[in-house]
Amino acid sequence: MALALRAAILRHARIPVVQTLTLNGSKLGLFGTVRSMSSHGDDNLDKQAVVDRVLDVIKSYPKVDPSKEVDACAYTYSLAPIFYSVLQDSCIIQVTTDVHFQKDLGLDSLDTVEIVMALEEEFKLEIPDKEADKIDSCPLAIEYIYNHPMAS
Amino acid sequence: MSFTLRSVKVPPNSVSLEEARSRTFEFFRSACRSIPTIMEIYNLYDIVNPSQLRSAIASQFRKNAHITNPKVIDMLLFKGMEELNNITEHAKQRHHIIGQYVVGNQGLVQDSGSKDQGSSEFLKNFYSGNYF
Repeated sequence: MALALRAAILRHARIPVVQTLTLNGSKLGLFGTVRSMSSHGDDNLDKQAVVDRVLDVIKSYPKVDPSKEVDACAYTYSLAPIFYSVLQDSCIIQVTTDVHFQKDLGLDSLDTVEIVMALEEEFKLEIPDKEADKIDSCPLAIEYIYNHPMAS
Repeated sequence: MSFTLRSVKVPPNSVSLEEARSRTFEFFRSACRSIPTIMEIYNLYDIVNPSQLRSAIASQFRKNAHITNPKVIDMLLFKGMEELNNITEHAKQRHHIIGQYVVGNQGLVQDSGSKDQGSSEFLKNFYSGNYF
């Protein structure tokens, strides 16, 4: 009896398929069911993002930071505030994508290694020593990180 | 400390300055790579960030930048490795790390000796550290 009733109901009842939520709250899309197999993103980093982040790391390095440089100058010559702003404009070291750490930024070899270590930390990489020795300028750093499969 | 002796092996002498130099960089890298562990075990998150620690390590190296004798560099490297091992094995306490590497060389006891402590703010900063 119960079985017959169940079959009758099941024949007619139609439950609409609604979209369910996945664990992280996003809707199940066509590709939403595919989960990446590693904690690293499988997608490669965007070139522009790599450039921006590399430049940020270099700019935040204490010896490169332009504001600190200007402050030091201002202390030395005890400048009037008017000159201070002029100095700030002229004294800023331009950190661009084609900058060389030692030639353009006046850093030494230890600073270079330190910057490479900062980049390692930023992109969660481990750059082997031989490769790390070769990275001495911004373009090389960007290229290495952009081509590295594990950069994130 | 026996466990320190076990974990630090005396490497063969560097034959040239170039080799000593590359070893120095290698050691600097390994020290930098252990920064996250050090931050973790000494719970330094609220007082310092990794890049400050990295600069502190670099300034320790820079203090000896003038040395050109490979044997002396080897000896300093050994001492550095010993120090790093002690730190990563938690043979030190939190205040050792803070006093030595976070507060910096000026330490808790300020060195106010014969140097000119006069009016110049710039000179004071210049005496007190590498980065200002």
